[in-house]
Amino acid sequence: MAGLSFDNYRRNKSLEASGVLPPKTTSTGTTIVGCKFNGGVILSADTRATAGMVVADKNCLKLHRLAPNIWCAGAGTASDNDKVTELESSQLEIHSQWTGRAPRVVTALTHLKQHLFKYQGHVGAYLIIAGVDVTGSHLFSLHAHGSTDVGPYLALGSGSMAALSVLESKWKEDLTKEEAMELCSEAIMAGVFNDLASGSNVDLCVIEKGKPSRLHRGYKQPNQRLQKQRNYNFDIGTTSYFEAGSEVFYISKQSDLETSAMEVDQVS
Amino acid sequence: MDTVIDQLPKSVDAAAALPACVNGLPNFEFPSIDTPSAFLRAFTDDASNPDVPIKPQHGTTTLAFKFQGGIIVAVDSRASAGSWIASQKVKKVLEINPFMLGTMAGGAADCQFWERWLGSQCRLYELRNKKRISVSAASKILANVTYHYKGSGLSMGTMVCGYSEKNNTLEPEIYYVDSDGSRVAGQLFSVGSGQTFAYGVLDQGYDYNLSVEDALTLGKRAIIAATHRDAYSGNSCNLYHLKPTGWVYHGNYDAAAEIWRLKEAEGSFNDIRTK
Amino acid sequence: MSNPSEINGGSAVAMIGKDCVAIACDLRLGLQSVTVSGDFEKIFQYGGNFVAFTGLATDVQTVSTELRQKHALYEMVEERSMEPNTAAHLVSSMLYSRRFAPWFVGPLVAGINSTTGEPYVCSFDSIGSMDVSHDFVVTGTATNQLYGMAESLYEKDMSPEQLFETISQTLLCAADRDAITGSGGLVYVIEKNGKVTKKLLKSRQD
Repeated sequence: MAGLSFDNYRRNKSLEASGVLPPKTTSTGTTIVGCKFNGGVILSADTRATAGMVVADKNCLKLHRLAPNIWCAGAGTASDNDKVTELESSQLEIHSQWTGRAPRVVTALTHLKQHLFKYQGHVGAYLIIAGVDVTGSHLFSLHAHGSTDVGPYLALGSGSMAALSVLESKWKEDLTKEEAMELCSEAIMAGVFNDLASGSNVDLCVIEKGKPSRLHRGYKQPNQRLQKQRNYNFDIGTTSYFEAGSEVFYISKQSDLETSAMEVDQVS
Repeated sequence: MDTVIDQLPKSVDAAAALPACVNGLPNFEFPSIDTPSAFLRAFTDDASNPDVPIKPQHGTTTLAFKFQGGIIVAVDSRASAGSWIASQKVKKVLEINPFMLGTMAGGAADCQFWERWLGSQCRLYELRNKKRISVSAASKILANVTYHYKGSGLSMGTMVCGYSEKNNTLEPEIYYVDSDGSRVAGQLFSVGSGQTFAYGVLDQGYDYNLSVEDALTLGKRAIIAATHRDAYSGNSCNLYHLKPTGWVYHGNYDAAAEIWRLKEAEGSFNDIRTK
Repeated sequence: MSNPSEINGGSAVAMIGKDCVAIACDLRLGLQSVTVSGDFEKIFQYGGNFVAFTGLATDVQTVSTELRQKHALYEMVEERSMEPNTAAHLVSSMLYSRRFAPWFVGPLVAGINSTTGEPYVCSFDSIGSMDVSHDFVVTGTATNQLYGMAESLYEKDMSPEQLFETISQTLLCAADRDAITGSGGLVYVIEKNGKVTKKLLKSRQD
């Protein structure tokens, strides 16, 4: 990762020393699961993002595409998950163009774990990685410190205990695709309803051998907002404002851009 | 001892709802640790720890001054806990009795509790002595309490205002009493987070010979100035005028409306952007 | 109150309407309890994109200026205007580049995509996590109050005029319950045809 800047580090560290708390970051406070079936593998996640006690995003996407045949689900710090998967997907693309082959799941896993290990857990990405490649279908989990795990079904995040209770009691070998989809969504729902930091909808991604991966955004939506009991439409003109402090202008269109002088020219 | 007080049923005694009295003061229990005040601070001082479980309300502007027509008392009405505005209409003038007012700055609960307790002490004094208590005596009762509890975490900055009989005439008096145990007599005070802003206006406009109308206007103007600059003061101004015959309430004025009105009328508040 | 994000105070909100978006901010700049200025704009224009920055004032100024440079460079190199989602990803990258030594800012991006005509709003945490919303986004010291107001006042498919009233009342009422947000408000309503209406609200000054 070229270019992480530490310019503010000493400033912020000295602020911290004088009792300043580091800023709140958005956490995915999540339930994510993965499960293998005969013919492929499934990833599933809830869609709640939290900042402290506040639900920051009611429908965020925690399933990330690393390659057409490799996906991952992320728990932990939201921006770390977004950036680390964004980075990995571009690296995998470059790698597969270079080798002329579809990327393997272990390649993504190894590359990611080396990256996360380097940052000693400070990059807070907790991932479940799933995919199919020439060696078969695979399901791995990866912790922020760089440790990895393999299994026929896996769960991560604050709601993983709830999800695991479903997986542990209902998983069996040789699941069909439909059974696995049902199992995964049920596991996520356990997190959605029993873990306060997880919630809203269930997203699900099916990765099958020889078929394009399919992302089911909003696969289950058990928490639809009810119709508000009343609407508050203010009459136009309710809010008072200063005529003198108001203006109307138009955003310059692209054609203006080409002909207009550069900003630097206008300054001098 | 056959005073009226001794004949009252025990349940009427204020102590029924209070901790047992020791030396005439409600006696509060302290946690059995070395430094109770440090313990209390750890749980209530949001300046040193923003995540404290108990956030007391504070942030205020209050003022009182003597002039030829009596005493003006003016206060704002905002209660804040950190940056959260907990209430927009707090009564910060506590009516101790029809002749005495106390103001409230610092911990709302501390001020409310002890000034109400002070009211009951003043009433007991009247019953015992068949005459009204002087402001100096009343303020000293309060100062004795704050001194007694000094260092244990009370937070209050208050002005006790009223008329007292001195040499057979009624004299206006203002006493500033705070939780450090200070008790100072004076003719003009402002207390609270917005005090500097209020002093700014008071100092340039104050004159002992002010008319009643001008004095009321000045008191209100000083509070409004403080609400504009101090984030923890605002919402409205409560105005009182103390006369030898008792206090007179002069109303509640919305700070926002007053600022816009003053801006128009005086040509002041020119820092406010209007274009 | 030694939290850098709460020294200067300030809040912002953005909302989507029918073929329009609105973005609003307060104008207060404080130093702890003292209101230093009531003319501190927190919304910056980058072509057709409007970006609000709340948080530590020094960082607001630094990041907004740095974004101005990056935006100008983008338009020069690409020879086209920047779309809102591109602006959002740029902001995200800028913030994440300081993952372990962040700027104390909470940005919002609002704009309308010039090719699809889709309104776009997005909020970020201080290290660049994007929250693309289909209704509204909020940031600043009055975040909780803004969420409460917006959740109850917001309606889908509002006209530019209705959107102005709703976003203004959301900001004003939230500011009434935050001591360090207020001292005036500024609202931009951006319409699909490129029309931008900027209004200075008459708000409480206490």
